[in-house]
Amino acid sequence: MLEQSQTRVLTCIQCGKCTGGCPEAGKTPFNIRMLVRKRQFKSSIDENIPWYCTSCGACTIRCPRDVKPSEMIIEMRSSFVEDGDIPVSIQKALENTSVQRNPWGRSRAKRGAWVEKLGFEVPHVSETTSKRLLFTCCIQAYDPRCMVIPVNVATILNKGGLEFGILGEEEACCGNEIRRIGESGLFEELQEENIAAFKEYGVQEIITLSPHCMNTLKKEYGELGIKVTHYTEIVAEMIKEGKIVPKAPYAKKVIYHDPCFLGKQNGIFDEPRSILKAIDGLELLEFSRSRETSLCCEGGGGRMFCEVETTYQRNSEVRVIEAIEKGAEVMATSCPFCVMTLEDPATEKGLAVKELSEILMEVI
Amino acid sequence: MSYALIIAEVRRGVFEERNLDTLGICALLGKETVLLMPDKPYTFNENMYDTIIKAKTEEEVFLNPLNIAGIIEQVISARGKPDFIILTHSSSGSESAVYMAGLFSLPVVTDVSGYDKERNIFFKSYYSDKIFGEFKSSQEGTCILTVRSGSFKEFVGEKASAPKVEFIENVSVSEARTFVEYVEEEKTDIDITKAEFLLSVGRGIGNKDEIPDYEALAGLLKAVLSGSRPVIDKLWLPKARQVGTSGKTVKPKVYLAMGISGAFQHIAGMKDSDCIIAVNKDAEAPIFQYAHFGIVADIHKVRDKLKNILAG
Amino acid sequence: MNLLVFTKRVPATQEEELRIVDDGKAVDLSKVPFKVNDWDNYAVEEAVQIAEKTGGTVTAISIGDKESDEVLRRAIAMGAKDGFLIEKEEILHDPGVRAALVNNFLKKEGIAYDAIFTGVQSEDDQFAAVGGILAAKLGIPYASMVIGIDAVEKDHLIARRELEGGLQERVKITSPCVLAIQSGINEPRYVSIMGIRKASKVERKTYKGADYSENANNSIEVVRWVYPPKKGAATMLTGELDEVCKQLLGVLKEKGVYQ
Repeated sequence: MLEQSQTRVLTCIQCGKCTGGCPEAGKTPFNIRMLVRKRQFKSSIDENIPWYCTSCGACTIRCPRDVKPSEMIIEMRSSFVEDGDIPVSIQKALENTSVQRNPWGRSRAKRGAWVEKLGFEVPHVSETTSKRLLFTCCIQAYDPRCMVIPVNVATILNKGGLEFGILGEEEACCGNEIRRIGESGLFEELQEENIAAFKEYGVQEIITLSPHCMNTLKKEYGELGIKVTHYTEIVAEMIKEGKIVPKAPYAKKVIYHDPCFLGKQNGIFDEPRSILKAIDGLELLEFSRSRETSLCCEGGGGRMFCEVETTYQRNSEVRVIEAIEKGAEVMATSCPFCVMTLEDPATEKGLAVKELSEILMEVI
Repeated sequence: MSYALIIAEVRRGVFEERNLDTLGICALLGKETVLLMPDKPYTFNENMYDTIIKAKTEEEVFLNPLNIAGIIEQVISARGKPDFIILTHSSSGSESAVYMAGLFSLPVVTDVSGYDKERNIFFKSYYSDKIFGEFKSSQEGTCILTVRSGSFKEFVGEKASAPKVEFIENVSVSEARTFVEYVEEEKTDIDITKAEFLLSVGRGIGNKDEIPDYEALAGLLKAVLSGSRPVIDKLWLPKARQVGTSGKTVKPKVYLAMGISGAFQHIAGMKDSDCIIAVNKDAEAPIFQYAHFGIVADIHKVRDKLKNILAG
Repeated sequence: MNLLVFTKRVPATQEEELRIVDDGKAVDLSKVPFKVNDWDNYAVEEAVQIAEKTGGTVTAISIGDKESDEVLRRAIAMGAKDGFLIEKEEILHDPGVRAALVNNFLKKEGIAYDAIFTGVQSEDDQFAAVGGILAAKLGIPYASMVIGIDAVEKDHLIARRELEGGLQERVKITSPCVLAIQSGINEPRYVSIMGIRKASKVERKTYKGADYSENANNSIEVVRWVYPPKKGAATMLTGELDEVCKQLLGVLKEKGVYQ
């Protein structure tokens, strides 16, 4: 785990690059540069403020002094967590995760139930020769809207002839959001539980469906000797090799929204685009803020479970408005949280939001 | 003689409707019904009971478990032990029932919602109502029951003759617990998690101008108005009224959802409500999968019609 | 004020599909995760808050198998001074037995207290009975559905009880007493995993349930377990608008939310 320390905070020169890139700055009371300043002087802060952070990581990426402001936020939240004084909806998500190993508190026993929607059998990872694991992710295992993502990706990988297995009810929440909420003890529990399962079944490779899972499995689980990828990397390669062939045309203008945890935090910009470009008739559009500067949808860092105090125009709405102005008919993305946050204003304004696999399923 | 002693649930001069359920189970049990109540004027059909014993005391004294036990001792010394002592599964009913069970060392089964006469078995819900236990008393003698509201009222009927009325003259009053006053729940700061009846509106209401009409409907129904995320996001309702994962988790007795399609995050915040009623124009809306009752209709028309009926 | 508070480890069945096994003799809970009983969580929080205010201590007590130590650790993490486990392997379905065990335990061990808190009911058996039976056996006053404690005095408390339809009653109750705490009385603090780990260092005492079984005999028994009648799809109210609305009002009346 990354360690944030007072010495790091003290190196801050208050240049404001963090605030300059922050998706919450200006429109909410959240001012990351100011928070770092207050931290330098150890002065008190309004306890509601740290919960605005979406953990998009822009501040940490842009910081010229490596202060890691987004990690400082996690530390601040940690002290609220240890004091037991956190927003009720966040508390609920943590307690649910503690009991059922997913923040929604759905039955752990039903975590693998999504495979019933497939037309073929998916083995337990221990029964595969490749020991290649498809890591489902909580929201995609339970939410009917997001469940299409594992169903689609499993179908696509299967078509491409790639062997993989699942952990089913033995998979626990990856803990990416839990760590960012500041519950480090629970994060460690989840991490230990998942690592124990990976080791027991000799997992060699993990294909993740959510960029959030990928991020933590890849960067925060320590050295496991397991290759962790996002499915778009695998599928882009399979298309290149001709193992998956998009046959049908898709004559639509599609704009691609980079998820923060896939794009700016993990540098996966080209693979999703190469998949879209391989589709006949599809015209790929770009946002004015794309790739490294993509505007956060505000679904990360615990914000899926917590409503902030103030009301303002949501970034998802800003995104939808721009997409429509650019003439897009479909907004594509590759993260379940982005789908959830973007779809709300999009439906209202008559724009379709699709996870990449949904478009792919229509053409192969 | 074999009889069942029914402890009336009364409150501020009202003989509660739930008393029909305690009477109903007596009809199934086939016991002579003896009703015990405070000697105050209450409006109800006395002819449904064989005997009515009126204790000359204040209602608040009667509703106190420490006092009711003494009153029952007097009944028993006069009539012998009943086969059953039956109360409503209400705040005061269950409180008195279990205290008596401890005091008289009697078996107690609470929240009874069914009875199998042939096998002499009481049904009681377990594990979030997912399983029922078939219970019976393992000893001879009196058994105490509290019954779930709405479970037995269909079995009540009138007796051939008017009830015998008896009185208990002297009731001793405990000093260990005394009634101070009634308090109406504060209405200023609305807490949707504490409401028994929520009228919840979603994106389907269309625009902000519709809100006052739904507020009016909620007022007529004595319901509290809440909303799903889109409604809150657009500032049509304040944040404190939001139901869902990122808002509040609610478990009212009735959740009336109008124009809410039932997004996963919303469902997570209300699915444990006792009764969910969904009104939506889209018959395919996911909320119907979780609802107990559904109406496929234009929500504004339903609203206006309800307001009409309620006002008229 | 020194308080005893009861806390129970219960199966989290809300989301589970439960199976009845052994010809109706048992419910399979082997795959179900366990948690603290929600009402007890409120009771512990209330006890801790009162102890903090009045300068007393809180002792958490649980009846159950060894695993129930988990809810004691949790209570300690919330602010309880110590925890006692009355160990009992089998599930006790008669609240009278639980109350008798506790009654014997408190008397035999000579445990002093100013008040005993329980949750109104437990999520698994929904009996809402142990507190009241115990109070009667101890010969002390009882109040259930306590949704507020307005005053804590030397020899009494003022408690607010939740009644029906948004009404509450304020009662004066002498101490020692048993109060059954209703959910919503407070906002229980979050207990972090780190907090629970720290609490593990506080010693908890274990007592054998068998040593306190005098007169703790079953007075009721479960003959078998059955599934409730299946809840089908939503009952659709159909017909003319006027008709549909009247049906809707009928449902509201039946559920007791509209007169």
